[in-house]
Amino acid sequence: MRYAFFQGCNIPVRIEQYAIATQAVFQKFDLELVEVRDFNCCGYPVRNVDEKSYILPSVRNLAIAEKMNLDIVVICNCCFASLMKAKSVLDKNGSLQNEINHILAKEGLQYTGKALVRHYLSVLYNDVGIEKITKKLVYKVKNLGIAVIQGCHILRPREILHFDNSFVPKITDALVQCTGAENLDWRGKLECCGAALAGINDPLCHDLLTEKILGARQAGAQFITPICSYCYLQFDTTQQIISPHQEDILPVLLYPQLLGMCLGISEKELGLEKNRTIGPQDIEKITSSLGSPEEDRKKRKKKIKQPA
Amino acid sequence: MSFNILLSFSVIVFCIGLFLRFYSWFNQGIDPEHEKAPFLRRISCAFSGLLSTLFSKKIFLILQSVFADLVLQKRILNKSYLRWITHALIFISFLFLLFFHAFGSFTYSIWGGEYVSTLNPAFTLREVFGLLALCGIGLAVYRRINYTKKRLHSNAGDWTALLFIAIIMLSGFLLEGVKLSSYSTYEAMVEEYGYYEGEEALALEAYWVAENGLHSPNFREAVAPELVETGRELNQEGSCIMCHSSAKSAFVSYSAAKVVGPAAAAIGDGAAVSFLWFVHIVACLAFLAWLPFSKMFHIISAPLSLAINRVMGKDSDDPVNTLNRQMIGLSACTHCGACTVECSSSMFYESFQNEFILPSEKVQFLKKIAAGQEVSSEVLNKLEKGLYICTSCDRCTDICPSGINLRDLFIHSRYYLLERGIVETSMLSHFSFPLALAQKFSGSHLKALKAVHDIFLKTFQSLPDILSPVKIGKNVFVDNESYKSCYSCQRCTNICPVVRNYQNPAAELDMMPHQIIYSLGIGNVDIAMGAKMIWSCSTCYLCQEHCPNHVELTDIFYRLKNIAITTIEAGENT
Repeated sequence: MRYAFFQGCNIPVRIEQYAIATQAVFQKFDLELVEVRDFNCCGYPVRNVDEKSYILPSVRNLAIAEKMNLDIVVICNCCFASLMKAKSVLDKNGSLQNEINHILAKEGLQYTGKALVRHYLSVLYNDVGIEKITKKLVYKVKNLGIAVIQGCHILRPREILHFDNSFVPKITDALVQCTGAENLDWRGKLECCGAALAGINDPLCHDLLTEKILGARQAGAQFITPICSYCYLQFDTTQQIISPHQEDILPVLLYPQLLGMCLGISEKELGLEKNRTIGPQDIEKITSSLGSPEEDRKKRKKKIKQPA
Repeated sequence: MSFNILLSFSVIVFCIGLFLRFYSWFNQGIDPEHEKAPFLRRISCAFSGLLSTLFSKKIFLILQSVFADLVLQKRILNKSYLRWITHALIFISFLFLLFFHAFGSFTYSIWGGEYVSTLNPAFTLREVFGLLALCGIGLAVYRRINYTKKRLHSNAGDWTALLFIAIIMLSGFLLEGVKLSSYSTYEAMVEEYGYYEGEEALALEAYWVAENGLHSPNFREAVAPELVETGRELNQEGSCIMCHSSAKSAFVSYSAAKVVGPAAAAIGDGAAVSFLWFVHIVACLAFLAWLPFSKMFHIISAPLSLAINRVMGKDSDDPVNTLNRQMIGLSACTHCGACTVECSSSMFYESFQNEFILPSEKVQFLKKIAAGQEVSSEVLNKLEKGLYICTSCDRCTDICPSGINLRDLFIHSRYYLLERGIVETSMLSHFSFPLALAQKFSGSHLKALKAVHDIFLKTFQSLPDILSPVKIGKNVFVDNESYKSCYSCQRCTNICPVVRNYQNPAAELDMMPHQIIYSLGIGNVDIAMGAKMIWSCSTCYLCQEHCPNHVELTDIFYRLKNIAITTIEAGENT
């Protein structure tokens, strides 16, 4: 299966490892993520300024995928929400669709709504499936406390995104748990990282971020795992700006990096050292927690056999 | 004689142009924070930077740049084969014709040879490269026209450059063609170098008519083959062969001779030769004089810019050399539009119709800003908006074939204009996010943000400022009518992480989320827009998701923000 890989603006220049790790993991399941140079910004940054200008770029991206006959796979939550929003607006608003198609026609593009937008976690959970992922695992991590922060725009508003139950999401939890990591239940998991306020109201942006870092720490997190690229940059870059002491930094681990390690992909290939908050001791912590997935399976088999 | 005057004149203009350019490298620039360093300090910093590079391991980076960026043109190759071929055709042909045609005598003298323009291989190769250059021009024109759909802009300078080269090549071919066919030129040559009379003279002429494209009034009809054979022998034995390869080897000009020869003869071939010679020489010399004032200056500045790019990378902490580099970069822009074609914000250009959103167009204008030219405030406002509507994806910087650090140039320009008091409402967008991460010019950013905030205070009244009873209006909010379902349960306010963040939220936010919805309910959109709450909204959608009556709070806040910005922009323009 091939997908048009939508990386957005932040990932190629600031979080290259997110794209590389996702591609490496997808490859293990014979899924190909095709890089499309022609994609442009999803439109999200301009949303505060003008709604129509926010929709237009996403429609162009959808039209490009359509022309390639591919569905889109997205990593960044904000890109995901923008693409989904554009789709839902155009499906209800024929005249806007005509207006935008008129602009796109100059480039020989047309939007009809054929291309689907998929979040990479949804592909892993729904298309590949937990069972298949578990079978492929070479290692499982043990005693590794992971605090996932979902990111707002992957879940809400539910009518637009259809990703998961927006109150009690299970997809990300299941995916983290299958690696053997201890998926922590913590206070900021479904809340905002503050990114949307960066550069507009920095004190508030930092407050929201600090609250999340403290919350994750209190729950005993060794790593924080943001799904959205904006959350990632908040935890990986802004955290360093606002933390007076380097030893207070909560290291960031991306989900495909965690899963990739368990699939036997090297930490170099997954770009672990490119996460600015991860030091050699953190990588050591992960590698030393890797163990055989077999014991676990045997135990489970025993458990099943016992009642019989 | 006239050639020498023209040549001297164009060389003088060229030198003045070079001087002005070099001077601007160390005299101009865009820096929001620092007073521009004086000229001498700029030069001394450049030299010390150069020396410390040459005497360190970084010299290898320069060698790498010469090989990869200059010889192989790798940055263009990575982008598109067609562009690489286009550029290579023009670039290689230019080099060949410069050294083996214009400077032929000099080049040959290096190995003690004597340059004879009508002898092979130069005779043929000149034609080959002239033709290749024309192919390159053709491809470049095709690209410029074809890519307008990708928002590529072409200006007068771009077309002039292509036209100049095309005129030089075409006039060269025509000149050669008319010369080959010219009877008066032939006569003059025979008079000077040949000693033929009567039958012999006629035979030689017959040979030149039959084989070398000469257009002679003595041979209006088919030439007798025997006469041609005699002529061939005379040509071989005599002095002609020493300086003339077969005219057929100049295949383009030979064909041109066949076509334009009769016409030239009709108007007077001597005059035609002088005229075309004049056109060709004037075109070449005018090109030389124009070069330092045009984008063709990239021939000198782009290799330098590319080498600096390798040595300094994207980040540099030396403010003086950053400015020097900025100016070298600006002078290396060829307005090729690669940045614009790849620009991630290009669709915002379609919606805002502001050409300054496109990086290539910004750069053209920033040259004026760097030179300190007077620009109207209207244009400056538009330029600042164009500078701000940028996703900071660095694609332009990574793609630029001249290795210009566009990212740095745009960051400097953005804050330079903000420092000059331009109010930019787009600061309230998420374009500010990467800027906050980069932490550059933080002081300028905060100051400019405050200016936007002040405009808001002037335009809208917030609830705490209103002393008289709040107006109940008729201006119903039509953009999203879900607010009508609100029954003031305050669930939105109770779940809001922003409200929770403050000890005294009313003081910090002016109004709580439910109050904003309530103000829409009573038809007072203005106080909703004046509330700090909408700009403090983290857009987490928790309120909207938890609203028992499906009021789309976050979406409504987005709409309010849009309308507030539009209102302010409209006010600014009146």
